[in-house]
Amino acid sequence: MRAVILISLGILTAAAPPQPPAGPGGGLVTARDSALHALNRLAYGPRPGQIDSVARTGVMRWIDAQLDASGPRNERLAEREASTPLLHLSTSDLAQRFFAAQQERRARARQGQVALADNQMMAGPDELRARALGGQLQQLAVERAVLSDQQLQEVMVDFWSNHFNVFFGKGADRFLLPDYVEHTIRPRALGKFSDLLIATAQSPAMLFYLDNWQNVRSGGWAGGEADRRIGGQGNRRAHGINENYARELLELHTLGVDGGYTQQDVIAVARIMTGWSITPPKQGGAFMFRPRAHDDGEKVVMGEHYPSGHGMDEGMRLLHWLANEPATMHHVSWQLCQRFVNDVPPDGCVDDAVAAWRRTDGDIREVLRAIFHGPDFWANANVGVKVKTPLEFVASAVRAVGAEPDSTPRLAQVVARLGEPLYLHTAPDGYPDREADWVNSGALLQRMNVAVAIAAGRLPGVDWADRRIGGSADRESSIGVELSAHTKQVIENEARDDEVFALGLALGSPDFQRR
Amino acid sequence: MAISRRVFVKSGGLALVSLGLDPLFLARAAYASTRDGGSGERPILVCIFQRGAVDGLSVVIPHGDAYYYSERPRIAVPRTQVIDLDGHFGLHPALAPLKPLWDNRSLALVPAVGSPDATRSHFDAQDYMESGTPGVKLTSNGWLNRYCEHCREHEATPFRAAAFGPELPRILAGSAPALAIPDLQAFGRTGGRADGRIDNITRAFEELYAGSSTGLISSSAQEAFEAVRMLRQANPTQYTPDNGAAYPQGRFGHTMLQLAQLIKANVGLEIAFADVSGWDTHVNQGAGDGQLANRLREFGTALAAFAQDLGERMRNVVVLTMSEFGRTVRENGSGGTDHGHGTAMLVIGGAVAGGRIAGRWPGLDPQTRYDGRDVPVTTDFRDLFSEILVRHCGALDVNAVFPGFPADRARFPGVMRAV
Repeated sequence: MRAVILISLGILTAAAPPQPPAGPGGGLVTARDSALHALNRLAYGPRPGQIDSVARTGVMRWIDAQLDASGPRNERLAEREASTPLLHLSTSDLAQRFFAAQQERRARARQGQVALADNQMMAGPDELRARALGGQLQQLAVERAVLSDQQLQEVMVDFWSNHFNVFFGKGADRFLLPDYVEHTIRPRALGKFSDLLIATAQSPAMLFYLDNWQNVRSGGWAGGEADRRIGGQGNRRAHGINENYARELLELHTLGVDGGYTQQDVIAVARIMTGWSITPPKQGGAFMFRPRAHDDGEKVVMGEHYPSGHGMDEGMRLLHWLANEPATMHHVSWQLCQRFVNDVPPDGCVDDAVAAWRRTDGDIREVLRAIFHGPDFWANANVGVKVKTPLEFVASAVRAVGAEPDSTPRLAQVVARLGEPLYLHTAPDGYPDREADWVNSGALLQRMNVAVAIAAGRLPGVDWADRRIGGSADRESSIGVELSAHTKQVIENEARDDEVFALGLALGSPDFQRR
Repeated sequence: MAISRRVFVKSGGLALVSLGLDPLFLARAAYASTRDGGSGERPILVCIFQRGAVDGLSVVIPHGDAYYYSERPRIAVPRTQVIDLDGHFGLHPALAPLKPLWDNRSLALVPAVGSPDATRSHFDAQDYMESGTPGVKLTSNGWLNRYCEHCREHEATPFRAAAFGPELPRILAGSAPALAIPDLQAFGRTGGRADGRIDNITRAFEELYAGSSTGLISSSAQEAFEAVRMLRQANPTQYTPDNGAAYPQGRFGHTMLQLAQLIKANVGLEIAFADVSGWDTHVNQGAGDGQLANRLREFGTALAAFAQDLGERMRNVVVLTMSEFGRTVRENGSGGTDHGHGTAMLVIGGAVAGGRIAGRWPGLDPQTRYDGRDVPVTTDFRDLFSEILVRHCGALDVNAVFPGFPADRARFPGVMRAV
């Protein structure tokens, strides 16, 4: 098996123009078939005409360009970003607004004319502004998914945002999350895994979300001002280790639940990470190591000795070690293959990814390249078998009709209504990526509604100024699915003279729910 | 139906409406009769989450405890205003509408219940109470969903489990079917297409999915269309509460009204969930009157109206209230209370062992307080919830519902009459 793959890779790099390896089933017959498959996996589906343009470029060349991600991202998107207020505010700015909104809420409660602080209907201007900024964060993700020409980068930002999930609704994360997405995740989405791991470990958003800022040596302190300001819970503070981050670091971020560690290892990791904290938000809310909170004793993690007295270096050493442990390589590679190949990733695909990881010290770009160049990625059994997540469904439908999100958060709200409110997954495992988690009767009905509304140009949040609806041949090529004979027949029977209805049926068809 | 029942979830109601059903489809559904042969004998559990941590000491007031008055000089309810229950405990005067339920023994009160976990974070504590696994953050589903998943004594319909709100709450998240129902008013604003083409759209989609060979998508779609048909058969009509029940103005009263409609519709509802916020009284909480009193008045009036509206039907309905934790025994400098530990929960229903205080009352002595400041938890919330699942819903095994917490009848607080 391994030999076969290496040989095929050799051919690929030698041949010009490169062609995708033929799948065993031979489903991807034409260059357009391969282009469509790549656009459905590395991108949020094709824009009108894009299948042909990728086929002309050569699909492997397009894939390499997506991996490279150095090309222009799209002028329209740049304009959008420039006019998004959220992107012009620092974490301190956001913190100020957060606290102003909090003050307003408390003042309202003090006046007593309103039942209580959390009466949403009575929100004041500061509260409304704070809420609007939250909407911008979600909307930005949708805009980028629809508009960016560096599609793979957006797909990977979504992947890592879930792998290293932080819940936007938890206290200070309301103002820490924008910086996390923009400056922790985005720049490293196609970089080295170890860099990404360390960046998340030092991110105020993660330190707050998984309580590590409260993880202190026994009898230690979390830091005076931060104690009072950040938690907002007053009164009682943890004086001892908090295992929360340590556990998820091992279970979710790196080794995986079967990664061979014990509860004693979790405790040792928590002790190593004591003192990894944050400065008070009003002073910038940055990462800070607090030596007085650090446990200076000796620790042992899975047989590795960490002699006492190395402060923050212990954590750095631990993270570097975790980033390239075999269990981590396997765990994260498996998840990548699940995202790009199949809900149940083929072993060969995972093996290829792990081999690339080992060879490149966890260069995510090269791990992905190995997946995309492997035979499993192109195998007929793995084409069109992934069910789209709500974000993928909405973004692909809007892209298919050549529309774009308007400047309101309404399209992000559609994604939320379909079951995926962005950045609002409470548990640290992030949104799942399996069919069973997204397919259910209520959600399917919602998707049919959204499909009909998009086709009719009536979906709130979609800007479809110069709408053109072509004939049936045009429809199939533009929306980027290979419609089944049955689907074509039903559309022909039910919507022969009604292109809007026909398009709605196509976007709401079972065929379009898959990628 | 031979197909597997998958998750009917996440604003399914809204979807039905936009597909062309009357915006008042729930009102129609409320008159869809005889889903269960009209017997209506299926036990129903209604869970109400008071988000924000309700001050249990203001709900079930220990007016016989001197510390209650010495620790709360500004916010204690004067003894003359407390609605006495047994000489030691009383109800807040704003909860007067619930007194008849106490008197006819269909209201039980659990005054010191909560989570064994020490967290005072709203986020974490709500998460634990909904996942049913205190201290474990990675539990992916909620305990009500696990109950639906593991206890299949009843035939499931798409309406077996429903939450009122725009999104499915954590407590109902999971693989068992669960429906999120946004507010009826919101349905009206969304609006379906009123022309005759709606039938065409629905039929065309049904055909599309009937020919789809893929298992899960195909079976889920069939269920969806079955639910659409089921609701369309219902007759539209105006809903008038029975027995002269008067629901209070506001969202919570409206939610309870819709819930009564859905129960009377006999569409197979077994588990219902709703939440009500406004309990985080850090500032100026008030005593016999004031902010908290206003919240409690709406709360108690809505629950009493619900019980009155359902009338005889309450023999098979239990309403359980819950909140993530309680509040400090001592009032703070702002005339409010801060995050505490144990709180009070209410259990209402025909089969409830009512007219009594359930669970051990630890008293307010500083020596017995949790961390020296809070009402301790003498009843683990899982014991209370387990008792209701076993004795009311008829669950045969709740060990899968609360993993790592084996059910033990000896720990049940005794809120249900033993069957």
